[in-house]
Amino acid sequence: MTHSDHLVTVNLGPTHPATHGILQNVIQLDGERIVSAVPTIGYIHRAFEKLAEHRPYYQITPITDRLNYCSSPINNIGWELTVEKLLNVQTSQRIDYMRVIIMELARIADHLICNSILGVDSGAFSGFLYLFQHRELIYEIYEEICGTRLTTNIGRIGGFERDFSDIARQKIQKFLDIFPPALKEFESLFNRNRIFMDRTIGVGAISAERALNYGFTGPNLRATGVDYDVRALTPYSSYSDFDFDIPIGESGDTYDRFMVRNEEMWQSLRIIDQALRRLPAGPYHVDVPEFYLPPKSDVYEYMEALIYHFKIVMGEIPVPVGDVYHSVEGANGELGFYLISDGGRTPFRLHFRRPCFVYYQAFPEMVIGSLLSDAVITMSSLNVIAGELDA
Amino acid sequence: MSIYLFLIEKTILSLVIFAITLSIAMYSTLAERKFAAFFQDRIGPNRAGPFGLLQPLADGLKFFFKEEFIPASSDKILFVLGPAIAMIMSCMSGAVIPWGKSLIIGGHPVSLQITDLNIGILYIFAVVSFGVYGVILGAWASNNKYALLSAIRASSQMISYEIAMGLALIALVMTTGTLSLSKIVESQAASHWNILLQPLGFLIFLICVFAETNRTPFDLPECEAELIGGYHTEYSSMKLGFYLFAEYINMFVASAVISTLYFGGYDVPFLNVSGNIGVLLGTACLFAKIFGFIFLFMWVRWTVPRFRYDQLMRLGWNGLIPLAILNLLVTGIVLVLN
Amino acid sequence: MKSLTHRAKRVSNKRMTFLEKLYLPAILGGMWITIRHFFKKKVTIKYPEQVREFSPVFRGLHVLKRDDTGAERCTACGLCAVACPAEAITMDAAERVHGEESMYREEKYASRYDINMLRCIFCGLCEEACPKQAIFLTDRIVPASARRDDFVWGKDRLVEPLTHRIDISKRHFYYKQQGKP
Repeated sequence: MTHSDHLVTVNLGPTHPATHGILQNVIQLDGERIVSAVPTIGYIHRAFEKLAEHRPYYQITPITDRLNYCSSPINNIGWELTVEKLLNVQTSQRIDYMRVIIMELARIADHLICNSILGVDSGAFSGFLYLFQHRELIYEIYEEICGTRLTTNIGRIGGFERDFSDIARQKIQKFLDIFPPALKEFESLFNRNRIFMDRTIGVGAISAERALNYGFTGPNLRATGVDYDVRALTPYSSYSDFDFDIPIGESGDTYDRFMVRNEEMWQSLRIIDQALRRLPAGPYHVDVPEFYLPPKSDVYEYMEALIYHFKIVMGEIPVPVGDVYHSVEGANGELGFYLISDGGRTPFRLHFRRPCFVYYQAFPEMVIGSLLSDAVITMSSLNVIAGELDA
Repeated sequence: MSIYLFLIEKTILSLVIFAITLSIAMYSTLAERKFAAFFQDRIGPNRAGPFGLLQPLADGLKFFFKEEFIPASSDKILFVLGPAIAMIMSCMSGAVIPWGKSLIIGGHPVSLQITDLNIGILYIFAVVSFGVYGVILGAWASNNKYALLSAIRASSQMISYEIAMGLALIALVMTTGTLSLSKIVESQAASHWNILLQPLGFLIFLICVFAETNRTPFDLPECEAELIGGYHTEYSSMKLGFYLFAEYINMFVASAVISTLYFGGYDVPFLNVSGNIGVLLGTACLFAKIFGFIFLFMWVRWTVPRFRYDQLMRLGWNGLIPLAILNLLVTGIVLVLN
Repeated sequence: MKSLTHRAKRVSNKRMTFLEKLYLPAILGGMWITIRHFFKKKVTIKYPEQVREFSPVFRGLHVLKRDDTGAERCTACGLCAVACPAEAITMDAAERVHGEESMYREEKYASRYDINMLRCIFCGLCEEACPKQAIFLTDRIVPASARRDDFVWGKDRLVEPLTHRIDISKRHFYYKQQGKP
């Protein structure tokens, strides 16, 4: 019997309960041990970068919703920040703070999904729903601000489409009051539970060096012990005003990733609390009539507003020629937008730097030699989101 | 008593127990879904009938009307045999459990135990071990890699945990001095429940029962997140129903066995009612204990994560078996000293 | 590894205490948590009977508004179709003829206005682009159907019925800024 005779090839995905989204892994098993893993990508490739080349800038925001759909506001705002960088638009502190609140809410929403799904994949379902019901509160906040829950299309180039209403503010406050006890409860279900610790410690570990070589960012890199965080190192949207810690792990295994994400939720709560308390008064959008739609009343009364309105919607406002790269700390890692403008109504070229794409490359290295069950929770804790992976 | 009367009596008793087993298993499915919902701040099924009480009937009906699907590359005979074995074996184990004292009907004592085997415990062991063949055969016959992995997990898990379970039981048998379930219950009714004599043994036994019935944290053979459906990945319609049903029957029987062995069976504590009412009260008490354990099964399932395959084995061989042997030793020493 | 910031905080402790090694305390603690949830108030919304209240700015099914006299506001300028990132809007323009003044507010109107609800991503950009306050997203939801044709909504279903006007006054995005409905 040759060596490969007793190997079993299984397709973990594209329709497997453990692959959240449409991912495929062709795994060779020796018993339960993984000998080789080949990830396949592209199952939900929608050619967003190409689509974006045929859309005016404001129409690309809804496309970014569909990258990491667990935290679409971060994608939206990241894109708006990129365009503002190209247009050289300075936003006021109030807009920055509003954006920070929304982005941190999105980060919590993303992390709580990832961590609680890790619980589901390791067999404990209840903790998932204890947290999941609080994501509902976050979604209601989105709904109050932008009108929908999942594909938010929140914010506009130059600010927000509308101010936080009183209800939205109340809902944020309510979330800040209700969520911490629930998170604490979730932590006490998992953090020190030996079954869970045994399942996760040492599983899917990656060294800091390998992680950096792959280009890891975000919680997955921080779990290896590198305190790299875009929010702290190249602050955008006034993140330098806030006081927060950067949680790091030890050896980059699943348990570290879980703990880092848990702690990041606490830090996000801290940031939201600070931003909400220090939220300055003022307009919710900057005064850039060339890019921010005028109020409807002006569209009727003033010729200038009407012209701008038409020009903005048609995308006929000249933009500077040049290229910009802007990155935000997405829930999953550094989410970058590389935008080349030739001055036309659409981007000449747009590239999304999607963190999931990087993580998925490292997946084989992380699971080879471990058991099938480990592959499942490693994938789960990497938080590979198919929409972002394939773009 | 004539042989015919005896046969009629036993047939009726068997049928009644069979019916009760099935209906409890049926409603366990509803209870599981309801309890899971309650544990998770949800409501659970509530559309079929008041509080969803007709849900199990709807589920059963659905199973019957679903397409009978047998994969082309499967071994057809074994594919059908698998669920059948699982179902039959789980129903058989109820035969030796003493459901109550003897009722007096028309001057005749009518035993509420189908048969009082003097090796009742061994019988249960034998039947439960047979149950795993249902899983293995079905999984192997369906010619699916996930199912096969599940079968391997199931068989190694069953074998490993049966050892610890057996060792825990030997200690119990040493204290009670009999293998007959009815005698074990009587001895407990006379003095005190075995849980007080064998707390560690009970804990080991309980853990092993969780493993034997494939319940979380030991539900590796069917863990959804890894093996899709485990051994019943390829099954549909009532054959799938049989597997799911067998699981709940196993849970019911296992609860009955635990109650019988460690919690005094039909013994009602601090109460002494004679006559038929006392017998029925005892039976009711046994069922109360059984429901308590079924609830415990579900409660644990919706709380803890599951083990990994190697950790499960390590816990069985390195943890439970030495503990069980220790328990055995201590029991022996205490018995000798007394 | 050198620290990049001074904010790093080590969070994971993988050393287990003796009690934690025993499994049972954590399991019992977990069971204590779950049993408390058993008796808690349930969060489920029993949907068809109970409906969650949408926010006033919810982006649901579209409506083509009429003005106060009942004339259609849409003037078929095509901005909504241009603004639509999903290219879900199809429209044909026609000129109003004599006698139709009560039906259409402007001299030009949309003779055909289709929204393909399967393409639509409910981003709300059409509503924002409309200079005539003709199209709005509402807090209604597109009904499900098993037929694809049912999802192409024409003017017959999009334009609000005269007898059954659709209230969009709560969508303060336009309303507040503008002063008049």
